[in-house]
Amino acid sequence: MEARDDELPPLDPAESLRLIAREQATTTRRLTPDPRLLLWPWGLAWLIGFGVFFLRFGPDERVLVDMPDWVPLTVLLGSMIVAGVITGIVGARAARQVSGPSSRQGAMYGFTWSVAFIGMATLFSRISDLLPVPEANLLWAGAMVALTGALHMAGGAIWNDRSLFVLGLSISVVNVAGIIIGAGWHALIVAVLGGGGMLVAGLVSWLRMAR
Amino acid sequence: MTGGLPELDPVIHAQARLRVVAALSPLGPGDRIAFPRLQDILRMTAGNLSVHLRKLEDAGYVEVVKTHQGRTPATLVRLTGRGRVAFEDYTAALHALLNGTAEPPEES
Repeated sequence: MEARDDELPPLDPAESLRLIAREQATTTRRLTPDPRLLLWPWGLAWLIGFGVFFLRFGPDERVLVDMPDWVPLTVLLGSMIVAGVITGIVGARAARQVSGPSSRQGAMYGFTWSVAFIGMATLFSRISDLLPVPEANLLWAGAMVALTGALHMAGGAIWNDRSLFVLGLSISVVNVAGIIIGAGWHALIVAVLGGGGMLVAGLVSWLRMAR
Repeated sequence: MTGGLPELDPVIHAQARLRVVAALSPLGPGDRIAFPRLQDILRMTAGNLSVHLRKLEDAGYVEVVKTHQGRTPATLVRLTGRGRVAFEDYTAALHALLNGTAEPPEES
C-alpha cells in the first residue's frame, strides 16, 4: 500500500510543530492572491489616469499638454475598468479554490465596489455638466478616490487586515489634502501619492508574503 | 498516562495525516477547499491523499463532499469542528511534550 511509509509518526515534537507551521504557511500563501495582481493594476490606472488629468487640466486651468477635453476622463475610467476586470478575475480565481463563507464574503465585497461606483457615476453624469469644467473634474476625481479609500478601509475591517486599512486611510487623507489644495493639484497628488502608494503597497505586501 | 505526558491522537499521529489536517487548519470555519488544490498544496498523489482523507473522515475529522461547480464535478474538503478540536489538542500536546510542562500525574 502506497500510504504505508507515511503512517510513521513524525520524529519528535519539535519536528512535528515545524511540520505544522510549514503546512499552514503553505496553505495561506497558496490561497492568498498575489498582492501585486490586486494592487498594481490600480496603482498604474491611477498613475496614468490622474497623470493625464493633471497634464490636461493643470492648476489654474493651465493646459500642460494639449488634447481634447474628453480624453482624461475617458483614459481614467478606461484604465479603472481594466484594473477592475483584472482584480475581479484574480478574486474569482481565488474563490474557485475555496468555497464557503469566506468566498461569499469576497464576492459580496467585490459586488459592493461595482454597485458603489455605478451609483456614483450615474449621479455625477446627471449633474456634472452643470459645473464649470475644473470643478466637475474635481467632483469626479475626488469622489472616486474617496470611495476607493473608504472601501479599502472597509475591506481592512472585514478581513482584519491592518495594511489594507492603512492603505485606505492614506488614500483618504491624500484625497482630502488634494481637494483642499484645489483642482489640478488634486490630480497630481492623487497620481503620485495614491497611484505610487498602491504600487509600493503591492510590492511591500508581496515581499512580506515571499518571506 | 505514563509520566504525565499527554497522549497523542493516533489518527493525526501519522506524518501524512498531520500534514493534511495542518494544511486544512488555516481555512475559515465552514470553508471547503477543492481536492486538486489541497493535493497541490500537500504535494501528494491523488490516491495517497484519498486514503488519508478516508481515514480522517472515518474519525469524523474531515468532511468530503462531491458537488458540481457549473458543469464540472468537484470534490470539496473541510475540517470539521471535531477535527479542529483534535488538531488543537494535538498541537497543545506537542507543546507540552516539548516544554516538559505537563503536570506530573496524581499518584493514586
